[in-house]
Amino acid sequence: MMERIILDNVKKKFKREVSSGSFLYKLFSGNSKGNNKDFLVLNNISLKIKEGELVGIIGNNGSGKSSLLRVIAGIYETEDGEIMRNGNIISLINLGFGLQLNLSMKDNIYLGCALFGLKRKETKKRFNDIVNFSELNGFVNTRLYQFSNGMLQRLAFAIAIHCNPEILLLDEVFDVGDNEFKKKSSDKIHKLIGDKCTVILVSHDLELIEKQCDRVIWLDQGRIKMQGNPKEVIRKYISEY
Amino acid sequence: MDFRRFWNLTFYLAKSGFKVRNEGSYLGILWYLLNPLLFFGLLWLIFSNNIGNSIESYPLYLFMGVIMFNFFQSATSESIGIIRDNRELFKSINFPRMAFISGSVLKFFFSHVFEFFIFTIFLVALKGNFANVLFYPLIILFFIPFVFGVSLILGSVSVYILDVEGIWTFASKLIWFATPIFYALNLSSKLSVINWINPLYYFITLARDLVVYNTVPSAEIIVGSALSGALFLAAGVLTFNKLKTRFTEII
Repeated sequence: MMERIILDNVKKKFKREVSSGSFLYKLFSGNSKGNNKDFLVLNNISLKIKEGELVGIIGNNGSGKSSLLRVIAGIYETEDGEIMRNGNIISLINLGFGLQLNLSMKDNIYLGCALFGLKRKETKKRFNDIVNFSELNGFVNTRLYQFSNGMLQRLAFAIAIHCNPEILLLDEVFDVGDNEFKKKSSDKIHKLIGDKCTVILVSHDLELIEKQCDRVIWLDQGRIKMQGNPKEVIRKYISEY
Repeated sequence: MDFRRFWNLTFYLAKSGFKVRNEGSYLGILWYLLNPLLFFGLLWLIFSNNIGNSIESYPLYLFMGVIMFNFFQSATSESIGIIRDNRELFKSINFPRMAFISGSVLKFFFSHVFEFFIFTIFLVALKGNFANVLFYPLIILFFIPFVFGVSLILGSVSVYILDVEGIWTFASKLIWFATPIFYALNLSSKLSVINWINPLYYFITLARDLVVYNTVPSAEIIVGSALSGALFLAAGVLTFNKLKTRFTEII
């Protein structure tokens, strides 16, 4: 099977600004450079993910899970290492991903699809599928500020999965949905995997990760602490915390 | 870069920005007509009997200056902070970053078209030559790259330096007074030297010569407009591409 993603010794560094305040304040307090310190958010990450694989990423807050997704998506540039991506990447790294609350659901579907690289004709073709999948048929012309978090999540997820993902990156997207929608989304994800899409799922819901994923990667302080069979990795993870 | 994707996204960002701006407003797009009209009316009341006396077709001269400056100022000011304001989106999806600035410029271009529509009515009402309006798309071909270039520079630099907003608020006022919008410059005056380094002077003069006065602009004005458009576009694209790599880490 073809490799969709290869990361080889990838490092990602952030500047952490400890001191706040304007430059003038820093200048007069004798600290014109501030207290910027570099810290590694990803440290020598190497991994390979094949087509049709569903990989879960677990770890404590600040362990580098979202940063890893952003590096894979190309949102963050890296300082070191090699990255190979093979396929159209669709990322849903936070719930609303920039949905415009003052616009209707219809306008947001067109805008969202354009952000994910779909052309108008393609969006038009998929419009009904997106609305039907989100189960928000009665709200097509409603502005999103009247939507609940659950409705926003349904819409965002529906848009993302209808934009030809070959690599789908999902970060905590099932935290606010109801069980019925989770089941529907899970079925859809498995259908995509059957079509050779690769899915990477970040979640604190260990039960979901264990049930859904083929492989689990445990991140700790920017390093891969363990990876492999979901049951084993999650058992080890729980035993440590 | 995939230009079709870039243009498609630019269009939808402009369209949604335009809609958001009008949602919930009582007068909606009427503001695009009212705003320049009210501002023009105010300036005309103040200046028509003194400065305006010596300028031929002063209402058209003034209105053309007002709407061109308005487009420049609105688009460039909005570009500052637009990336920070959309941090969630920038941190969630890898899309062509520049489209956010081009979408914003296009949104204000939509408004500019409304303003130019009023100008055309003025032109006809004041018995100007309607056919001159056909030159305007040519002027826009030079002007939009300039506005886009300046917006790219401001938009990207302001991610790193928050003070750009304060500086630009003052600088745009300075440019407003330095550009002959409500007054005409005596070319022998010392002030006229400033205009040789003010790109807006070239664009506004080009538009007035072709559309208001039906005269062939001087070679300096044509070259100045073309060069300003090309240079600022190139500088904007280079600056933006150089700075965009760390946007998502800073915002």
